[in-house]
Amino acid sequence: MNDCVPDNGGISGSRRDFFQSVSGGIFGAALASLLSQDVGPVRGLAAESRQVDSPPSLNYLQPRSPPFAARATSIIHLFMNGGPSQMDLFDPKPYLDQHHGEPFFDKIAGEVENPQSAGKVMRSPFKFARHGECGMWVSDAMPQLAGRVDDLALIRSMATTNLTHEPAVYLIQTGKMGPGRPTLGSWVVYGLGSECQDLPGYVVLDDPLGLPVNGVENWHSGFLPPAYQGTRFRSTGSPVLNLRPDVPQPEQVVRAERDLRRRLDDLHRRERPGQPVLDARIASYELAARMQMATSDALDVSQETASTLAMYGIGQAPTDSYGRRCLIARRLVERGVRFVQLYINGQIWDNHTGLATDMKAACDRTDRPIAGLLADLKQRGLFNNTLVVWGGEFGRLPIAQLPADKDERKAGRDHNKNAFCCWMAGAGVRGGVTIGATDELGLAAVENKVTVPDWHATILHLLGLHHDDLFVLENGLKERLTGVTDARVVQELLA
Amino acid sequence: MALAWLLLLLLQVLGDAGVCFAGAGVIDEAQTTTRDAAPSYARELQPLLQAKCGRCHGEKDRKAALDLRTSAGIRRGGESGPVISPRRPDESPLYLRVQAGEMPPDPADALSAEQLDLIRRWVAAGAPFDLDDHDSPPAVPSQHDVVPILLRRCAPCHGRNRQESMLDLRSKPSMLRGGKSGPAIVPGNPDVSLLIQRVVAGEMPPHERLVEVSVKPIEPLEIETLRQWIAAGAPEVTEEVVLEPGDFPEGTDPLVPTAERDFWAFQTPCAAVVPTVSHRERARNPVDAFLLQKQEEVGLKLSPDSERSVLLRRASFDLTGLPPEPDDVESFLSDDLPDAFERLLDRLFGSPRFGERWARYWLDAAGYADSEGKREQDLPRPHAWRYRDYVIRSTNADVPFDQFLLQQIAGDELTDYEAASEITPEVYDNLVATGFLRMAPDATWANITGYLPDRIDVIADEVDILGSAVLGLSIKCARCHSHKFDPIPQRDYYRLLAVFRGAYDEYDWLKPDVRAGLGPVSQDIVGGRLLPFVTTAERRAWELRESELTRQLAEAKAAGAPADRIRDLESSRQAEPMIQALWDRGDPTTTYIYRRGDPLNPGRMVRPGVPSVLTGWTAPYEVRSPWPAARATGRRLAFARWLTDPQHPLTARVQVNQIWKHHFGSGLVRSLGNFGRAGTPPTHPELLDWLAREFIERGWNRKRIHRHMLTGSVYRQSSAVDEQLARVDPQNDRYTRMPMVRLSAEALYDTLHFVAGSLNEERFGPAVDLQAREDGLITPAEQSRARRRLIYVKQLRKKLATHLENFDYPQMNPNCLERRDSLVAPQALYLMNNGTVHELAERFADRIGQIAADDVTRQVEQVYWIAMGRPPVETERVLGREAIEQLAKSWSQSDGAGAETNDPAAHRRALASFCRAILNSAGFLYID
Repeated sequence: MNDCVPDNGGISGSRRDFFQSVSGGIFGAALASLLSQDVGPVRGLAAESRQVDSPPSLNYLQPRSPPFAARATSIIHLFMNGGPSQMDLFDPKPYLDQHHGEPFFDKIAGEVENPQSAGKVMRSPFKFARHGECGMWVSDAMPQLAGRVDDLALIRSMATTNLTHEPAVYLIQTGKMGPGRPTLGSWVVYGLGSECQDLPGYVVLDDPLGLPVNGVENWHSGFLPPAYQGTRFRSTGSPVLNLRPDVPQPEQVVRAERDLRRRLDDLHRRERPGQPVLDARIASYELAARMQMATSDALDVSQETASTLAMYGIGQAPTDSYGRRCLIARRLVERGVRFVQLYINGQIWDNHTGLATDMKAACDRTDRPIAGLLADLKQRGLFNNTLVVWGGEFGRLPIAQLPADKDERKAGRDHNKNAFCCWMAGAGVRGGVTIGATDELGLAAVENKVTVPDWHATILHLLGLHHDDLFVLENGLKERLTGVTDARVVQELLA
Repeated sequence: MALAWLLLLLLQVLGDAGVCFAGAGVIDEAQTTTRDAAPSYARELQPLLQAKCGRCHGEKDRKAALDLRTSAGIRRGGESGPVISPRRPDESPLYLRVQAGEMPPDPADALSAEQLDLIRRWVAAGAPFDLDDHDSPPAVPSQHDVVPILLRRCAPCHGRNRQESMLDLRSKPSMLRGGKSGPAIVPGNPDVSLLIQRVVAGEMPPHERLVEVSVKPIEPLEIETLRQWIAAGAPEVTEEVVLEPGDFPEGTDPLVPTAERDFWAFQTPCAAVVPTVSHRERARNPVDAFLLQKQEEVGLKLSPDSERSVLLRRASFDLTGLPPEPDDVESFLSDDLPDAFERLLDRLFGSPRFGERWARYWLDAAGYADSEGKREQDLPRPHAWRYRDYVIRSTNADVPFDQFLLQQIAGDELTDYEAASEITPEVYDNLVATGFLRMAPDATWANITGYLPDRIDVIADEVDILGSAVLGLSIKCARCHSHKFDPIPQRDYYRLLAVFRGAYDEYDWLKPDVRAGLGPVSQDIVGGRLLPFVTTAERRAWELRESELTRQLAEAKAAGAPADRIRDLESSRQAEPMIQALWDRGDPTTTYIYRRGDPLNPGRMVRPGVPSVLTGWTAPYEVRSPWPAARATGRRLAFARWLTDPQHPLTARVQVNQIWKHHFGSGLVRSLGNFGRAGTPPTHPELLDWLAREFIERGWNRKRIHRHMLTGSVYRQSSAVDEQLARVDPQNDRYTRMPMVRLSAEALYDTLHFVAGSLNEERFGPAVDLQAREDGLITPAEQSRARRRLIYVKQLRKKLATHLENFDYPQMNPNCLERRDSLVAPQALYLMNNGTVHELAERFADRIGQIAADDVTRQVEQVYWIAMGRPPVETERVLGREAIEQLAKSWSQSDGAGAETNDPAAHRRALASFCRAILNSAGFLYID
């Protein structure tokens, strides 16, 4: 697989068509110049678009049809930072019950982040049962989700390449273990634009209690333009940075100032024909104004019925906060936002200690909201075009990690890069399947291993994009989400 | 049973070690093969491989370092390791690549099904080399197979910096010498060798301490290699497989075939003859002539000169990052002498603001940041600012670029700073400049992100920075495989790493300095990356201040001074001044090629050297000791001298191209960091080379090159686009107009403060802190220094000034050669709604009020003079006056004072609203 192409005047045919198909109409300078940067050969496009006498638009987010049929048009990514424990949620391991308390550390010394606190083989404090028609195994930590397993495609054989949070989070978000690359959401919106022009194409709903590991880099657009960066919507205060004036002004002053600015810009533009960027800039101020309205509307959950709120656990501890974000996610995809990403504070899944209590608390905060989201999407017909993705950056070890006082009742599990679970549901996903397997201990994926690039390729596939064809030319080199490694679409998961 | 199975499984899962010594296995198995059914190598395979593969994998052209014409070559394999796995065709790259249709690349050479099957059957039969098997004895491991294992598994505790139990395992003699318990190896007898005993028993490396020293457990295959080596008597080979370019007669390096050296970028630039053109009246200088020549080919010419005020604003932002001072505006607009613009340029080049503007481009290219990045803690680099200041000072002083580069790549090897009786400003600069090579993001300060691959990633980022910013080559591609488009074999990537080995050695790693409170930290930090060699003057001043403080403290304590007085004194102590530097520490470990970029899979050893394709023009790369009995190897100094050789094909071209890009919006080579075949060819090759030669031959003087670009007609052109230009030169490839550009993040930030009259132009020193507002907005902290130019504000990798990100302020990962030019709604939201912008608009209005009092017409004029660098045209004057009056009405109505009042407060607010509208207007944000 070529990771680099010479500037031979030719990009792959499908890619060229892909952009040309969206180059007419209200396509103005901004994308044209973007295109000329990204795909050198599309020269001359600026000249063409300049002659198109149509309303200017901020066209980074112009919806683009994917090269092949998409199953999903929107995606909700429920990112579970910290590393949810696979053998305590989705991957039961009787071996751990049988060998509980046996030493094992020496065999995996190189895979343990904290050797000093490494304990013995540890059984799960949770009870597993089969659920749904498909009989998928889920532990009693997630009773609500267990009721929706027939909608889920569970991957038990995920594997990553680093057992430290930062590199592992970078990898799952951007395809590389370090900072600086566009995130999955940025690539998706770069490839597809957004159906909604009054809201950002990539919205991030972070937890008021705190940011995930790597902070705002989780939704950074890397070398793609900032239009493809995730925009944080806060549930309290000004939902978007600078969305409302820091110093409020009387309405008529705001109006007068806006009129003045328009007239100044009109004067300026009239003197400068053939500079479409000026039209686009004027449009960007209009979009900014529309965003103020559209954002408030999308975030206004008071428009929902009491029963809907209850489905998400809104108004009840401990589900209220995450439930609101899940509901807002639905409201956003309903409005055509392409990519919505949900976070929960810090690393509630990073259960080095207190597995039985702390991991349960993480489940309690998210279980009902997520099950509610799935049910709500389904009842509104949104399940047919929305892909829901759940998972973290890695899994956990089958041995105990002990707290400082070595009290086994408070034990947790250390990081594990060789196995973890994630699931997908919704558009294009076959419900009720369990894919891949780990070894007896749940230590490593051994059957049908799914790498992070495979996972990315699968998500892109569901959106109608091929991971090899979605690239940007940086300094003559093709840069892709899946990088230079081969990636495969997990076919078993497709409906 | 279950455990044995598990162990096997673990081997499989955790053993990303790959094949450590596959070569031996290959031949052993081959020898035990029954040959009856096997195709004959000599009669069948050899002719086939010769015909189909020999052209690219032969003696003269050895792509991927692979020679498929001889049995020896096949056995040796290529840069990625063995190409056959006897008996296992489906694991043999030779078979797999051919089967997949990837090889041979030319479809005309494709193998028939029978030929493919022949290879399959031969490999399946054990790949027997019938004729010459008895000639080549089975290979045994040598020190080159063993030393890398010991370096990665043992050396952190038994190596250069620590010899636990007095044991050093880095060489055969030191293994024989052994430690407290005796010799580590007994050649010929692995079972009694302590090394093997301890390792096999699982005692070493000790499992509990692995993370502490960022080491992974030793692999069974590695133990086997150690055992084989000892069993064979611990042989040390002196003859290596020759593969260095110097090992071949000139021009016959099989990894870089002559034909591939012909590409334009690998030839030394030749002075082009300045062309004669038809529109001579527009050709003010040679640059114009080169451009006009290409324009005239399609019936175009340079656009007319811009208006004076446009030119002034353009040059002012371009050279200083700020609008012209109102005084300058008046004097320039009324200067009727023909050289008025040249004299303006002289003033701008002489301004200290020039360095603050142009240093930024170099800092972007170098990847400057005030933090390490990568981890949550975003470890600060509190001393990095000295490098930033060095770049600004050098830019202002126009230090010749060859010296500028020499200092940054090998400043530590220019003078014996340790023995110097005085650290002069020059020696200080030499050391500070090496901070260039310390810019890559780096998380190796933590044990868990300080493993071998993490360290190699840091080195790779430095090579990437060097490759893109200085060499203009995507040399980073050759880390895992020979470059696919340029003749850069993987070997040359690792020869380049060997150049840096004295300072960047993954087996002898200096970690970033860690302060307390950042979690578990390795025990083996050996002195960090700081040098205390600030100028003698600075050091003395600091020592004096500290001893004075010590004296005062002693006095205060003796006198029973109150606790807060003691605390004040204590807190006024200043940290020791240090330099973040890179220096050669001597005695580097051997450099091996890492097959497929994997440090667990080392291949051949290499010696330091420069990319073979770039040799032949310059004086050869020759390493000399920088001074008698120096500890430093001199490798980087030799490299820097090679880079700045007047005949170097790329150094000057790459730099003049970057300067050109920053003036004219696009490089003559569009791909600034890639002059190779995957980059874009130059639009004006003669101009590029003319500039490059001019640069080299006139003393690498950067301001001279700027002048060539700015004094011609090309820079004075209007940015107006008419239909003909839009049609014939839509992308401005022929430079038929100046581009209209948006203010950069820095120019915007600085100018907002500048027009408000509140820009603090204090220069240099530690970076200004950032603060995060509750809603996530990150801005420079409000302190006395907060209104300084943005270049003096901390650039943190994980905490970017949020409002500027939307204006394409880069996150350095690792560097940024070319910023995007984005247009997004959050830019509008920031300028409309942000409190700081609001406040600056009010200050701007106050400033106008002071100059123009209540005279609305004068107010409008002053706003334009200051913000736009010109007087308003009549329409703007009228619009401005009306707008201020309308706004005043709106303000007083909303104050409830009625529409007709002449409320001064409402007028003041109206003026502020007017100012803010101006700061939001396209005329302010765009430069014609």
